[in-house]
Amino acid sequence: MSEQKSSIPAPVPQPWTEEFWKAAREHKFLVQHCDDCNTNIFYPRKFCPECWGANLSWIEASGKGKLYTFTTTLYGVEPRFAPDLPYVLALVDLDEGIRVMTRIVNCDQDKLKCDMPVEIVWQDFDEFSLYYFQPQS
Amino acid sequence: MGRGKLAVIGVGEVPTGWYPDRGDWEMINTTCMEAIRDAGLDKNDIEGVITVNPMAQPKLQSEIGFGKIPEELGLKGCKDICIVNAGGATTTNCLRMAEHWVNNGIAKTVLINHVTRHSGITLADAINFFATAGIDLQWEYPFGMSYNGVMALQATRYMHDTGTTPEELAAVCVANRKWAMLDPNARFRKPLTIEQVLESRMVSTPLHAFECNVLSDGAAAMVVTSGDLAPQISKTPVYKLGEDVLYLGATATQRKERRRMGEGPGAAHKALAEAGLTLEDMDILEIYFAYPHAFLMLLEALGVCKPGEAGGLVMEGHTSPGGKLPCSTIGELSRGHTGSGVSTAYYVECARQLMGKAGERQVPNARYLLTNAAGGSGMNMIWSVWGRDIP
Repeated sequence: MSEQKSSIPAPVPQPWTEEFWKAAREHKFLVQHCDDCNTNIFYPRKFCPECWGANLSWIEASGKGKLYTFTTTLYGVEPRFAPDLPYVLALVDLDEGIRVMTRIVNCDQDKLKCDMPVEIVWQDFDEFSLYYFQPQS
Repeated sequence: MGRGKLAVIGVGEVPTGWYPDRGDWEMINTTCMEAIRDAGLDKNDIEGVITVNPMAQPKLQSEIGFGKIPEELGLKGCKDICIVNAGGATTTNCLRMAEHWVNNGIAKTVLINHVTRHSGITLADAINFFATAGIDLQWEYPFGMSYNGVMALQATRYMHDTGTTPEELAAVCVANRKWAMLDPNARFRKPLTIEQVLESRMVSTPLHAFECNVLSDGAAAMVVTSGDLAPQISKTPVYKLGEDVLYLGATATQRKERRRMGEGPGAAHKALAEAGLTLEDMDILEIYFAYPHAFLMLLEALGVCKPGEAGGLVMEGHTSPGGKLPCSTIGELSRGHTGSGVSTAYYVECARQLMGKAGERQVPNARYLLTNAAGGSGMNMIWSVWGRDIP
């Protein structure tokens, strides 16, 4: 998708999530992986929340997943999000076994269904990029 | 801590509303005095004050946190104060702390109170506080999450899984309104129909305006004492009989719905077991839910009915005044939401019902009830059982 001006707030990273947002700029979705207990972790942590392991690495997600749930927001949001209305807020389960909050774009809002296959699509802003999803083609 | 160790012996409340011209301290004075009088105590009998932190009002927070309430009210027997903060779950923690105080020689009687005046919050404070309260700045906020949005996400999935209809969701609001029409403390009291709910503005699919709670002003107070002292002071003590809680997670992506619906109500059954009672013994389910689908999900998860059947129960009027399963007599969505104080209002309503002081909405012979509280955007689920006697 093309670059656009927006008042969308930039994510506020922690030192151990900077890598994630840097990769996002290159349109790569990194999933944190614990090499000690072999768990995929989201959101990225300083230590593995399962085993407190510190041997954490990154794997690149396939970008495919299933739409767990969604809502078309029409009204009642902060002024900074108002120009985007109506927008579809969603929870997506990635094939890597993690759940993310996101938006669904490039879709007919009336045809969205829980569990439908979706794929990642990146939205670039001036200083950062966000992962949105669209129905799989 | 334990069965029957804490008792509520007095309550006071100002009606939930919108009071831009009313002072916070006027509301604090009114409710605290009413609760102490209701308990039949002298002001100097109060030995401790524990207050719900008015999270969104920093100035008031520091006034109360620095000990102004006993001084303002002239509570000359007061030994100590504390301010507690756990979001919407704060009042539960005030009660837990009071239970410790009254059973360990710190204070014989404790005043617990709350005030929140959303109408008095400056625009700057409102933006600072509400925009990102309980919303993660990396993983939620940039996508445009709101409280309505996150509850709408849950509603969509619930309707998908159970086949619950928009009419059934709307019926929850109508049932709430029927209770609110009998309650002088409720903010919204005109008759309401399913059609009106469904014709109201769509906020975030599938939730219409009438299905989203409305931030309001409110204040309430309770006087509590130990289970041992309560019958000596009060003719109508209300005992805490059991309690259990589960932490679910701070962010929506981390809270698996399965956990919320499976293990959360497990806590309800543990609370009932501590009380030595069962769900069938409950005369009222005083359920806090904030959005209509959550009420249906909780009824089903508690085991009141099978998944997908709760909407029907509500449509048939069983949860309304006069129904066989009186629920949320506080009127919930028609009451108005007082932020971190919402659970104070719930506990006050529980006490009123069990004291027989609930006026037109009194459930006849209410003896035991189950209630719940939650903080943040659903970070935890607390269940407690209350009764007018210790079984």
